[in-house]
Amino acid sequence: MNEKVKVWPGTPLSEKDIIEKRVLFTEWEPNLKYAWDAGVGYGGYFAGLKEGRIVGTECSKCRRVLLPARAFCEWCFRTVDRWVQLNDTGIVNTFSVAYTGTAAERLKDPLVPALIEIDGSGGVAIMHLIRGGDPWKVKIGMKVKAVWKPKGKREGSINDIEYWKPV
Amino acid sequence: MPVDKITQVSQTKPWHGQIPVYGQYTYGIAGERFFREIKANGRIMGAKCSSCNLTYVPPRIYCERCFSELTEWLQIPDRGAVHTFTVSHVDLDGNRLDEPLIVAFVEFDGVHGGIVHRLGEVEPDQVYIGMPVEMRLKSKAKRTGSILDISYFKPIRV
Repeated sequence: MNEKVKVWPGTPLSEKDIIEKRVLFTEWEPNLKYAWDAGVGYGGYFAGLKEGRIVGTECSKCRRVLLPARAFCEWCFRTVDRWVQLNDTGIVNTFSVAYTGTAAERLKDPLVPALIEIDGSGGVAIMHLIRGGDPWKVKIGMKVKAVWKPKGKREGSINDIEYWKPV
Repeated sequence: MPVDKITQVSQTKPWHGQIPVYGQYTYGIAGERFFREIKANGRIMGAKCSSCNLTYVPPRIYCERCFSELTEWLQIPDRGAVHTFTVSHVDLDGNRLDEPLIVAFVEFDGVHGGIVHRLGEVEPDQVYIGMPVEMRLKSKAKRTGSILDISYFKPIRV
Protein backbone atom coordinates (compact mmCIF):
# COMPACT_ATOMS: atom_id res chain seq x y z
CA MET A 1 0.00 0.00 0.00
CA ASN A 2 1.00 3.64 -0.39
CA GLU A 3 -0.44 7.04 0.39
CA LYS A 4 -2.71 7.20 -2.64
CA VAL A 5 -3.86 3.59 -2.79
CA LYS A 6 -5.32 2.21 0.40
CA VAL A 7 -6.71 -0.98 -1.06
CA TRP A 8 -5.46 -2.55 -4.24
CA PRO A 9 -8.14 -4.01 -6.45
CA GLY A 10 -8.21 -7.77 -6.89
CA THR A 11 -8.71 -10.87 -4.81
CA PRO A 12 -5.86 -11.38 -2.38
CA LEU A 13 -4.81 -14.88 -1.36
CA SER A 14 -2.75 -15.71 1.69
CA GLU A 15 -0.66 -18.75 2.55
CA LYS A 16 -3.33 -19.58 5.10
CA ASP A 17 -5.92 -19.97 2.33
CA ILE A 18 -3.72 -22.69 0.83
CA ILE A 19 -2.78 -24.41 4.10
CA GLU A 20 -6.36 -24.49 5.35
CA LYS A 21 -7.56 -25.45 1.85
CA ARG A 22 -10.06 -22.60 1.66
CA VAL A 23 -9.39 -22.39 -2.07
CA LEU A 24 -8.95 -25.13 -4.63
CA PHE A 25 -5.51 -25.56 -6.13
CA THR A 26 -3.33 -27.92 -8.10
CA GLU A 27 0.12 -28.92 -6.93
CA TRP A 28 2.86 -29.33 -9.46
CA GLU A 29 6.30 -30.85 -9.02
CA PRO A 30 8.02 -31.63 -12.31
CA ASN A 31 10.93 -34.03 -12.50
CA LEU A 32 13.71 -31.79 -13.76
CA LYS A 33 16.67 -34.14 -13.80
CA TYR A 34 19.22 -33.26 -16.40
CA ALA A 35 22.69 -34.09 -17.64
CA TRP A 36 24.72 -31.47 -19.42
CA ASP A 37 27.42 -32.79 -21.67
CA ALA A 38 30.56 -30.80 -22.34
CA GLY A 39 30.65 -31.82 -26.01
CA VAL A 40 33.72 -32.20 -28.25
CA GLY A 41 35.48 -28.89 -27.54
CA TYR A 42 34.98 -28.47 -23.82
CA GLY A 43 35.20 -32.26 -23.43
CA GLY A 44 38.74 -32.17 -24.83
CA TYR A 45 39.55 -29.18 -22.62
CA PHE A 46 38.43 -30.98 -19.45
CA ALA A 47 40.13 -34.22 -20.52
CA GLY A 48 43.32 -32.14 -20.92
CA LEU A 49 42.97 -30.62 -17.45
CA LYS A 50 42.71 -34.12 -16.01
CA GLU A 51 46.09 -34.86 -17.57
CA GLY A 52 47.53 -31.60 -16.25
CA ARG A 53 47.50 -29.76 -19.55
CA ILE A 54 45.72 -26.66 -20.78
CA VAL A 55 44.27 -27.52 -24.15
CA GLY A 56 42.72 -25.19 -26.68
CA THR A 57 41.82 -25.37 -30.34
CA GLU A 58 43.02 -23.26 -33.24
CA CYS A 59 41.29 -21.80 -36.26
CA SER A 60 43.70 -21.49 -39.23
CA LYS A 61 41.57 -18.87 -40.92
CA CYS A 62 41.55 -16.21 -38.19
CA ARG A 63 44.67 -17.72 -36.54
CA ARG A 64 42.93 -17.55 -33.23
CA VAL A 65 43.34 -19.86 -30.26
CA LEU A 66 40.00 -20.80 -28.74
CA LEU A 67 40.25 -21.33 -25.03
CA PRO A 68 38.46 -23.13 -23.41
CA ALA A 69 38.63 -25.35 -26.49
CA ARG A 70 35.66 -25.25 -28.85
CA ALA A 71 34.95 -27.32 -31.94
CA PHE A 72 33.63 -24.40 -33.96
CA CYS A 73 35.01 -20.94 -34.73
CA GLU A 74 32.13 -18.52 -34.32
CA TRP A 75 34.05 -15.73 -36.06
CA CYS A 76 34.76 -17.65 -39.28
CA PHE A 77 31.72 -19.92 -39.00
CA ARG A 78 33.76 -23.05 -39.62
CA THR A 79 35.11 -26.08 -37.82
CA VAL A 80 38.43 -25.50 -36.06
CA ASP A 81 41.59 -27.11 -37.43
CA ARG A 82 43.62 -28.55 -34.57
CA TRP A 83 44.12 -29.02 -30.88
CA VAL A 84 46.83 -26.91 -29.29
CA GLN A 85 48.56 -27.45 -25.98
CA LEU A 86 49.25 -24.23 -24.10
CA ASN A 87 51.56 -23.36 -21.24
CA ASP A 88 50.32 -23.43 -17.69
CA THR A 89 51.76 -19.96 -17.17
CA GLY A 90 50.21 -16.60 -17.88
CA ILE A 91 49.85 -12.99 -16.89
CA VAL A 92 47.15 -11.28 -14.85
CA ASN A 93 44.76 -9.40 -17.11
CA THR A 94 42.54 -8.16 -14.31
CA PHE A 95 41.70 -9.25 -10.79
CA SER A 96 39.61 -8.55 -7.74
CA VAL A 97 40.21 -8.96 -4.00
CA ALA A 98 37.01 -10.44 -2.62
CA TYR A 99 36.08 -10.50 1.05
CA THR A 100 32.77 -12.22 0.30
CA GLY A 101 32.45 -15.82 -0.85
CA THR A 102 30.16 -17.37 -3.44
CA ALA A 103 27.33 -17.70 -0.89
CA ALA A 104 27.82 -14.02 0.05
CA GLU A 105 29.47 -15.11 3.31
CA ARG A 106 32.17 -12.91 4.88
CA LEU A 107 35.71 -14.16 4.35
CA LYS A 108 38.60 -13.50 6.72
CA ASP A 109 41.15 -14.37 4.06
CA PRO A 110 40.13 -12.85 0.75
CA LEU A 111 39.85 -14.72 -2.54
CA VAL A 112 41.58 -13.23 -5.55
CA PRO A 113 39.59 -14.12 -8.67
CA ALA A 114 41.48 -13.10 -11.78
CA LEU A 115 41.46 -13.30 -15.54
CA ILE A 116 44.71 -14.96 -16.54
CA GLU A 117 45.99 -14.55 -20.09
CA ILE A 118 47.49 -17.89 -20.99
CA ASP A 119 50.99 -17.72 -22.46
CA GLY A 120 51.07 -18.68 -26.12
CA SER A 121 47.33 -18.19 -26.61
CA GLY A 122 47.57 -14.73 -28.12
CA GLY A 123 46.00 -13.11 -25.10
CA VAL A 124 43.06 -15.40 -24.36
CA ALA A 125 42.23 -15.38 -20.67
CA ILE A 126 40.54 -17.87 -18.36
CA MET A 127 39.02 -17.06 -15.02
CA HIS A 128 40.67 -18.54 -11.95
CA LEU A 129 42.04 -17.81 -8.47
CA ILE A 130 45.38 -16.39 -7.41
CA ARG A 131 46.82 -17.58 -4.12
CA GLY A 132 50.20 -17.83 -2.39
CA GLY A 133 51.25 -14.29 -1.62
CA ASP A 134 49.84 -11.03 -0.36
CA PRO A 135 46.50 -10.38 -2.13
CA TRP A 136 47.21 -6.67 -2.12
CA LYS A 137 50.51 -7.18 -3.95
CA VAL A 138 48.78 -8.72 -7.00
CA LYS A 139 49.31 -6.50 -10.04
CA ILE A 140 47.96 -6.39 -13.57
CA GLY A 141 50.62 -7.87 -15.83
CA MET A 142 52.06 -10.06 -13.05
CA LYS A 143 53.35 -13.47 -14.14
CA VAL A 144 51.60 -16.48 -12.62
CA LYS A 145 51.84 -20.27 -12.88
CA ALA A 146 49.23 -22.97 -12.35
CA VAL A 147 49.39 -25.13 -9.23
CA TRP A 148 47.82 -28.47 -10.13
CA LYS A 149 46.09 -30.97 -7.91
CA PRO A 150 47.98 -34.26 -7.58
CA LYS A 151 47.31 -36.55 -10.54
CA GLY A 152 45.05 -39.03 -8.67
CA LYS A 153 42.78 -36.25 -7.43
CA ARG A 154 42.10 -34.60 -10.78
CA GLU A 155 38.67 -35.23 -12.20
CA GLY A 156 38.46 -33.28 -15.44
CA SER A 157 37.36 -29.96 -14.03
CA ILE A 158 38.62 -26.39 -13.92
CA ASN A 159 39.29 -27.09 -10.22
CA ASP A 160 42.01 -29.56 -11.27
CA ILE A 161 44.08 -26.39 -11.17
CA GLU A 162 44.00 -25.49 -7.48
CA TYR A 163 45.17 -21.93 -7.96
CA TRP A 164 47.72 -19.75 -9.72
CA LYS A 165 50.79 -18.59 -7.86
CA PRO A 166 52.93 -15.56 -8.61
CA VAL A 167 56.32 -16.35 -10.12
CA MET B 1 37.76 -34.10 -39.40
CA PRO B 2 40.38 -31.93 -37.73
CA VAL B 3 38.95 -32.24 -34.23
CA ASP B 4 37.83 -35.80 -33.57
CA LYS B 5 34.26 -36.57 -32.79
CA ILE B 6 33.39 -38.25 -29.53
CA THR B 7 32.82 -41.93 -30.23
CA GLN B 8 32.64 -43.35 -26.72
CA VAL B 9 30.48 -42.32 -23.82
CA SER B 10 33.49 -42.51 -21.50
CA GLN B 11 35.05 -39.64 -23.46
CA THR B 12 32.27 -37.28 -22.50
CA LYS B 13 32.13 -35.15 -19.42
CA PRO B 14 28.54 -34.80 -18.25
CA TRP B 15 27.33 -32.80 -15.28
CA HIS B 16 24.26 -34.16 -13.54
CA GLY B 17 21.74 -32.07 -11.72
CA GLN B 18 18.16 -31.71 -10.64
CA ILE B 19 16.26 -28.45 -10.48
CA PRO B 20 13.80 -28.46 -7.58
CA VAL B 21 10.54 -26.86 -8.65
CA TYR B 22 7.27 -27.01 -6.78
CA GLY B 23 4.21 -25.00 -7.70
CA GLN B 24 0.70 -24.36 -6.52
CA TYR B 25 -1.83 -23.14 -9.03
CA THR B 26 -5.07 -21.58 -7.84
CA TYR B 27 -7.90 -21.39 -10.32
CA GLY B 28 -8.98 -17.79 -9.90
CA ILE B 29 -12.48 -16.47 -9.27
CA ALA B 30 -14.20 -18.13 -12.22
CA GLY B 31 -12.12 -21.34 -12.03
CA GLU B 32 -12.85 -21.73 -8.33
CA ARG B 33 -16.59 -21.54 -8.95
CA PHE B 34 -16.34 -23.80 -12.03
CA PHE B 35 -14.69 -26.62 -10.07
CA ARG B 36 -16.92 -26.15 -7.03
CA GLU B 37 -19.95 -26.56 -9.31
CA ILE B 38 -18.54 -29.82 -10.64
CA LYS B 39 -17.78 -31.05 -7.12
CA ALA B 40 -21.06 -30.05 -5.45
CA ASN B 41 -23.56 -30.26 -8.29
CA GLY B 42 -21.88 -32.39 -10.91
CA ARG B 43 -22.45 -29.88 -13.68
CA ILE B 44 -20.36 -27.96 -16.17
CA MET B 45 -20.96 -24.23 -16.05
CA GLY B 46 -20.19 -21.57 -18.61
CA ALA B 47 -20.12 -17.77 -18.44
CA LYS B 48 -22.16 -15.87 -20.98
CA CYS B 49 -21.48 -12.54 -22.62
CA SER B 50 -24.82 -11.26 -23.89
CA SER B 51 -23.39 -8.47 -26.03
CA CYS B 52 -21.02 -10.83 -27.89
CA ASN B 53 -23.43 -13.75 -27.67
CA LEU B 54 -20.63 -16.05 -26.49
CA THR B 55 -20.69 -18.66 -23.73
CA TYR B 56 -17.24 -19.36 -22.40
CA VAL B 57 -16.19 -22.81 -21.17
CA PRO B 58 -14.20 -22.84 -18.98
CA PRO B 59 -15.91 -19.73 -17.61
CA ARG B 60 -14.05 -16.42 -17.22
CA ILE B 61 -14.83 -13.27 -15.28
CA TYR B 62 -14.33 -11.01 -18.29
CA CYS B 63 -15.25 -11.34 -21.93
CA GLU B 64 -12.01 -11.50 -23.93
CA ARG B 65 -13.69 -9.77 -26.89
CA CYS B 66 -15.44 -6.79 -25.30
CA PHE B 67 -13.86 -6.83 -21.82
CA SER B 68 -17.21 -6.58 -20.07
CA GLU B 69 -17.63 -8.36 -16.78
CA LEU B 70 -19.42 -11.69 -17.05
CA THR B 71 -22.04 -12.23 -14.37
CA GLU B 72 -24.43 -14.56 -16.19
CA TRP B 73 -23.59 -18.21 -15.57
CA LEU B 74 -25.45 -21.11 -17.09
CA GLN B 75 -25.27 -24.87 -17.09
CA ILE B 76 -23.72 -26.53 -20.14
CA PRO B 77 -25.14 -29.86 -21.37
CA ASP B 78 -23.26 -33.01 -20.31
CA ARG B 79 -23.12 -34.04 -23.93
CA GLY B 80 -20.62 -32.78 -26.46
CA ALA B 81 -18.56 -33.94 -29.41
CA VAL B 82 -14.90 -34.78 -29.94
CA HIS B 83 -13.29 -31.84 -31.71
CA THR B 84 -9.84 -33.46 -31.81
CA PHE B 85 -8.04 -36.23 -29.96
CA THR B 86 -4.73 -37.98 -29.45
CA VAL B 87 -3.80 -41.47 -28.26
CA SER B 88 -0.92 -41.44 -25.80
CA HIS B 89 1.15 -44.52 -25.00
CA VAL B 90 3.49 -42.77 -22.56
CA ASP B 91 2.98 -40.81 -19.34
CA LEU B 92 4.28 -37.33 -18.53
CA ASP B 93 7.72 -38.74 -17.65
CA GLY B 94 7.90 -40.77 -20.85
CA ASN B 95 7.19 -44.15 -19.21
CA ARG B 96 5.16 -46.65 -21.25
CA LEU B 97 1.53 -47.00 -20.23
CA ASP B 98 -0.13 -50.42 -19.89
CA GLU B 99 -3.26 -49.04 -21.53
CA PRO B 100 -3.15 -46.16 -23.99
CA LEU B 101 -4.69 -42.92 -22.80
CA ILE B 102 -7.08 -41.15 -25.15
CA VAL B 103 -7.11 -37.40 -24.64
CA ALA B 104 -9.70 -35.32 -26.45
CA PHE B 105 -10.88 -31.76 -26.74
CA VAL B 106 -14.63 -31.93 -26.20
CA GLU B 107 -16.82 -29.18 -27.64
CA PHE B 108 -20.40 -28.38 -26.65
CA ASP B 109 -23.24 -26.99 -28.74
CA GLY B 110 -23.40 -23.20 -28.68
CA VAL B 111 -20.29 -22.93 -26.51
CA HIS B 112 -17.09 -21.00 -27.13
CA GLY B 113 -14.28 -23.26 -25.89
CA GLY B 114 -14.53 -26.74 -24.46
CA ILE B 115 -12.86 -29.18 -22.13
CA VAL B 116 -9.71 -31.24 -22.57
CA HIS B 117 -10.33 -34.62 -20.96
CA ARG B 118 -9.93 -38.37 -21.22
CA LEU B 119 -12.16 -40.65 -23.24
CA GLY B 120 -13.35 -43.92 -21.68
CA GLU B 121 -15.34 -47.03 -22.54
CA VAL B 122 -13.96 -46.84 -26.06
CA GLU B 123 -11.05 -48.34 -27.99
CA PRO B 124 -8.58 -45.90 -29.61
CA ASP B 125 -9.40 -47.09 -33.13
CA GLN B 126 -13.10 -46.38 -32.59
CA VAL B 127 -12.63 -42.71 -31.80
CA TYR B 128 -13.33 -40.21 -34.55
CA ILE B 129 -13.61 -36.45 -34.87
CA GLY B 130 -17.22 -35.42 -34.32
CA MET B 131 -17.97 -38.45 -32.12
CA PRO B 132 -20.79 -37.63 -29.64
CA VAL B 133 -19.69 -38.10 -26.02
CA GLU B 134 -21.15 -37.72 -22.57
CA MET B 135 -19.56 -36.74 -19.25
CA ARG B 136 -19.06 -39.47 -16.64
CA LEU B 137 -18.67 -38.16 -13.09
CA LYS B 138 -17.06 -39.73 -10.08
CA SER B 139 -19.42 -40.39 -7.19
CA LYS B 140 -20.05 -37.26 -5.13
CA ALA B 141 -18.08 -38.57 -2.14
CA LYS B 142 -14.97 -39.01 -4.27
CA ARG B 143 -15.05 -35.58 -5.88
CA THR B 144 -12.36 -33.15 -4.70
CA GLY B 145 -12.90 -30.06 -6.84
CA SER B 146 -10.58 -31.10 -9.63
CA ILE B 147 -10.98 -31.67 -13.37
CA LEU B 148 -10.60 -35.38 -12.53
CA ASP B 149 -13.94 -35.23 -10.70
CA ILE B 150 -15.07 -36.00 -14.23
CA SER B 151 -13.85 -39.59 -14.73
CA TYR B 152 -13.92 -39.36 -18.52
CA PHE B 153 -16.19 -38.72 -21.49
CA LYS B 154 -17.75 -41.80 -23.05
CA PRO B 155 -19.28 -42.28 -26.49
CA ILE B 156 -23.04 -42.18 -26.80
CA ARG B 157 -25.59 -43.00 -29.50
CA VAL B 158 -27.53 -40.03 -30.77
